[in-house]
Amino acid sequence: MPTLIIDNLTVTVPEGTNILEAARQLGIEIPHFCHHEALGSVGACRLCAVEILAGPVKGIQMSCMVPAKDDMVVDTCSAEVLAYRAQVIEWLMINHPHDCPVCDEGGECQLQDMTVAGGHGIRRYSGPKRTHQNQNLGPFISHEMNRCIQCYRCVRTYQDYCGGTDFGVLGARQRLYFGRFNDGPLESPFAGNLVDVCPTGVFTDKTYRFKSRLWDLQEAPSICPHCSLGCAVIPGARYRELQRRRARTNKRTNGHFICDRGRFGYGYVNHPDRPRHPLVGHRRVTWQEGLAALQNKLQELGELFGAGSIGLLSSSRATLETQFLTKRWATSLGSDQVCFEAHPVRDQGARVAASQPLDRSASLEDVRNCDLAVLIGADPLSEAPMLALALRQAARRGARIVVADPRPVVLPMACERHAVSTDKLARLLRGLSRPQQSALPASLEELGGSLSQALLSARSPVLIGGTDLLGPQGILALLEAAEACSQPEHPCRTMLLLGGPNSFGGALLSADGPGFDSLLEGMEQGRIKALLCFEADPLADFPDRKRIRAALSRLDLLAVFDCAATATVQEADLFFPTTAVEESTGTLINNEGRMQTFEQVLSAGTPIAESAGGSHPPRFFTRDIPGTDPQPAWGTLGALMGRCADLGALRREIEKADARFAGLSLLDANGEGRRIAIPRSRPVALQPAVANAVAPDQLSLLVTETLFGSELLSSLSPCLQEAIPAPFVMLHPQDAMRLKLEEGKKVTLATPLGDLTLILRIQQDMVPGVAIVPRLRGTALESLVPGSEPLPCRIEKA
Amino acid sequence: MNDVLLTIILIVIKLGLVLGTVLSLAAYMVLAERKVLARMQMRHGPNRVGPFGLLQPLADLIKLLCKEDLIPERADRWVFMLAPAISVGTALLAFAVIPFGAPLQIFGRTIELVICDLNIGLLYLFALSSLAVYGVALGGWASQSKFALLGGLRAMAQMISYELALGLAIVPVVMASKSFSLTAIVASQQSLPNALRHPLAFLIFVIAIMAESKRTPFDMPEAENELVAGYHTEYSGMRFGMFFVGEYVNLIVLGSMLTVLFLGGWHGPFLPSVGWFLIKILAVAFFFIWVRGTVPRLRYDQLMAFGWKILVPLGLLNILVTAVWLLWRG
Amino acid sequence: MSLWRDIKGTIQPFWVTLRYLFCRPVTICYPEQKQTPAPRYRGRLILTRDPDGEERCVACYLCSAACPVDCISMQATEREDGRRYAAWFRINFSRCIFCGLCTEACPTLAIQMTADYELATRELLQVVYEKDELLIDGCGKNAQYNFYRLAGIGVAAPRGANPGESPPEDIKSNLP
Ligand code: SF4
Ligand code: SF4
Ligand code: SF4
Ligand code: SF4
Ligand code: FES
Repeated sequence: MPTLIIDNLTVTVPEGTNILEAARQLGIEIPHFCHHEALGSVGACRLCAVEILAGPVKGIQMSCMVPAKDDMVVDTCSAEVLAYRAQVIEWLMINHPHDCPVCDEGGECQLQDMTVAGGHGIRRYSGPKRTHQNQNLGPFISHEMNRCIQCYRCVRTYQDYCGGTDFGVLGARQRLYFGRFNDGPLESPFAGNLVDVCPTGVFTDKTYRFKSRLWDLQEAPSICPHCSLGCAVIPGARYRELQRRRARTNKRTNGHFICDRGRFGYGYVNHPDRPRHPLVGHRRVTWQEGLAALQNKLQELGELFGAGSIGLLSSSRATLETQFLTKRWATSLGSDQVCFEAHPVRDQGARVAASQPLDRSASLEDVRNCDLAVLIGADPLSEAPMLALALRQAARRGARIVVADPRPVVLPMACERHAVSTDKLARLLRGLSRPQQSALPASLEELGGSLSQALLSARSPVLIGGTDLLGPQGILALLEAAEACSQPEHPCRTMLLLGGPNSFGGALLSADGPGFDSLLEGMEQGRIKALLCFEADPLADFPDRKRIRAALSRLDLLAVFDCAATATVQEADLFFPTTAVEESTGTLINNEGRMQTFEQVLSAGTPIAESAGGSHPPRFFTRDIPGTDPQPAWGTLGALMGRCADLGALRREIEKADARFAGLSLLDANGEGRRIAIPRSRPVALQPAVANAVAPDQLSLLVTETLFGSELLSSLSPCLQEAIPAPFVMLHPQDAMRLKLEEGKKVTLATPLGDLTLILRIQQDMVPGVAIVPRLRGTALESLVPGSEPLPCRIEKA
Repeated sequence: MNDVLLTIILIVIKLGLVLGTVLSLAAYMVLAERKVLARMQMRHGPNRVGPFGLLQPLADLIKLLCKEDLIPERADRWVFMLAPAISVGTALLAFAVIPFGAPLQIFGRTIELVICDLNIGLLYLFALSSLAVYGVALGGWASQSKFALLGGLRAMAQMISYELALGLAIVPVVMASKSFSLTAIVASQQSLPNALRHPLAFLIFVIAIMAESKRTPFDMPEAENELVAGYHTEYSGMRFGMFFVGEYVNLIVLGSMLTVLFLGGWHGPFLPSVGWFLIKILAVAFFFIWVRGTVPRLRYDQLMAFGWKILVPLGLLNILVTAVWLLWRG
Repeated sequence: MSLWRDIKGTIQPFWVTLRYLFCRPVTICYPEQKQTPAPRYRGRLILTRDPDGEERCVACYLCSAACPVDCISMQATEREDGRRYAAWFRINFSRCIFCGLCTEACPTLAIQMTADYELATRELLQVVYEKDELLIDGCGKNAQYNFYRLAGIGVAAPRGANPGESPPEDIKSNLP
């Protein structure tokens, strides 16, 4: 622990800390470009110079490259250093195109700040400026190479940190060029981070192009709602339009970066089709009329059929506050028919997952620091993209990554891949905990044995699984396996990928209450006459669409509270608009049991760009802002229960009602969040899954999540549309050969749900005998829901 | 019987004349003040309404009458509404005893050009000017506003302090003319106005009435830069107008007092007596306006110190000297 | 001595004010008589065009950031050729205090002040000016200046063709 003096202040830092970071601990920010907390130092920009007055090295040095040593005396702003930095800035500006007014980085540009701070105002060098041609890097990133200052942050992010291979540095000398070899969209699903890391305006957000300046943006700490990891983000809004998201730093979860689904999935908030007004049978009404209609109907049904005729459904998109009040309201109505997930497998899976011992549940930080990660039935890039990035960091540190999955799991690094079919995943897991009694095929037995050995001997192993493929039994097996492979001194941690950003909260609240399948039975038998959906979309989320549609049509009342035009909203008798995450305040519990709050970024309202038809805002004074009807679902629930809409009081009440949420009211949206106090008890009875019979000449059809297009909210985002693939089906080369099908050709997929025409992709790394399709909302593949038992199917040439 | 009726009719006519003259004079005093101040500051002054802006007072009146009459929510309603009336009322009542011309002989009847020649007219005047404090103080207090309250308090303290100096300045005059009746005091100045006989008393009196009328340089009660508008901050419409008119009526009253007590009343060569009286009042009024255009506002402590430490001792000294002089002269 | 000075100091101003009473007023009777403002008078704002006849304003939001009373609002957008310009641009002259900070902030010299000060109206919305009312056909002051011909982003001229630029590099060559 060296102790040194920086600017007359003494500081003690851990061994290996460089002077730049040591100074930061004192609150001294040494100007720099190329150093980045997550990327480290390379000493490329030469801006971070300091003068070292005493110590092992002396004189002007790059503070990011010199480790702090005992007895060093550092001056960060001696006259010589200031002059040096001013010159560095001046030479970095030699080729700058002087186009700040038309650059989107302006206002949040490190180069601007440093140029002003360095005192450089007039270009003295009169030689020619070198220029570059830009590239078209796809729908997300704009490129303006003339602004580059050669700090290498982009390559270090793209190649080293994110594992992208299609982007790099070209040229030599002052002709350095940061781009692709040829024009074309960036392939990495983390490419958006270039926007955040580039200290200049070379890479800017194309979806936010020319929209605003930082100083005009409304920003607030928020949480990404597009998967169960709960990454920290800062959305920015202006003129009632959510215009971008950027990464926020949370060391425990996402670190400094986010995935492109999170960054560009924001568009659902401004979606032109978003229903913004209460509707009674597709007729626009006021809130009072709508709520009165709802309450009258409920009272009528309650009197006729009893309180048990009312079912309540919330979802993993709903905040903890909404879920809690849903349950409260059910109690006060006298109904016990309440559940928090329309997908039975995800529901049961989450309930098991929420019972994992929390001291062994892994955060993304734990994953980044692990030395062995075993992924069983988990496809990070599709189900929780930032997990892939965390795994890559572990791999860069030398961790061993093992994947056992029927799907061709792609990770941004090399890993051990084992194609294991879905039905064997749980058995493989059981084999890990009870190697002797497993009835595993020889090949898997070997794998299981070696894995359990490795898990036992690893320093900090993590066992990763996804609910969709494992199902509740599989998750239970995974927890047991982790238990069995844990040593007191190095426990085997678990990370389970859940259905949505607040699946964990729903699982905690649902206790041993009914699942949606029992509600569905009630609806089918006519016991349940009314279904109230709080940010839930049972029509799209329940695996059997025919059955759910029939059941919904039997209802006397379907009331939906939602912020997006979902399939269920189209069927609703009563509709009430709710706010999107960015438009309200709330709490989400991510897949490791971390409670995180988010703050309101903007107030709900039709974007000016839309309400003014692209022209200037209207020229009259009015108090009525269009589209301001959406209310937070917890607020509406509060109003229905006759409570005042005070979030602080509600959070204190939740804390008091349930010790597991202790600390909820103290959460700071800018902080790291807080693990819930106690896990839930393990569900008692798990129904065994019924496997669909697959005839030998049939393939079994596996539906999976995919990076873009599966998750509801991001799939609505207009800026992601270009990245959503055309519907396709994946086959193993063996099967393709047997069926005489060719890569890239149209094929017909015959399923019990109907025939689909898709494009064939042949994948080496998957298990044979399976056809894999992604869930793509808004396409032919819409009605196929992941997490259900594989269906029998046939494929032939179209 | 006929005589009594005639007397009453005469009094009513005099009342009407005086009231009409005073009120229209007050209105045009406002215009004159704005014009003169403007010219002293090389501006044009009001010149839009009527020729040379002569209809400006009418326009102001209409404006004030049409404005909404706001009463602050937590104000003491009745007192708030009464205060401006006290202000105007006391100022107007003072005219009852002021002789504004030499007695007229019409059809063998002597008509005194004073509404009521009280033998204690001077004391009556003083009583009324003390009552005038109530208008201001109550207005300030009833408004429920700190600016108004502070303004009212300042006005009260200032008026009470300077009343003392005012009283002391008059004592030599009364001693010399041996009467409290204003008619008698005027009569005693036929040869020489009191201003020349009692110059020190005159000076003290001028300063004191300036302070009494709350005009620059003694306009602390409504000092805009500290108190918004002082005691009438919360007033609007015609209630504010009443304060405003009261102030200018007061200016005329004090001018008349100065004329009667020190400037020889209606006495003067060539012109009819009422003419002289008017000219003298107007001259005094011009002087007041001139002072306002020239002298900046004092500080409040200076004002108090000046009143108590200089004017009052000087007044007492003056009485002493006059008394000695009168005794010595027999 | 000082008493004499005080008395003189009290009397003298009376003489001054009395003298001024008979001077000609220096103010003018405005609507009938008008003053000719100086060329740098800070009156109504305009948006000018560059020598090529294109809008100078690039909707950089700097004027709206500089404006102390927040009376400028706009939305930037992009033309097919990559030129950034204002989709709409609004100045609320009922709030403007004519401080000129926006013109100082403007990097393209687009927003400029004119000598027109006669904006008073009873109809508030009449002084809320939109882009078509603000944009004039001429170049205004500094008629030669053309931002897009000085900034190296290849909008007015191809990349590398502006004065002081070398032609774009061939990134695939490794020759020194
Ligand atoms: S493109 Fe940006 S991040 Fe990359 S080297 Fe240039 S300035 Fe640095
Ligand atoms: S990993 Fe999930 S939570 Fe994180 S940014 Fe991506 S979609 Fe959002
Ligand atoms: S002149 Fe001043 S107040 Fe008016 S728009 Fe410009 S910056 Fe704003
Ligand atoms: S500062 Fe100039 S270029 Fe920028 S938006 Fe304002 S007028 Fe347009
Ligand atoms: S930060 Fe140290 S050289 Fe760039």
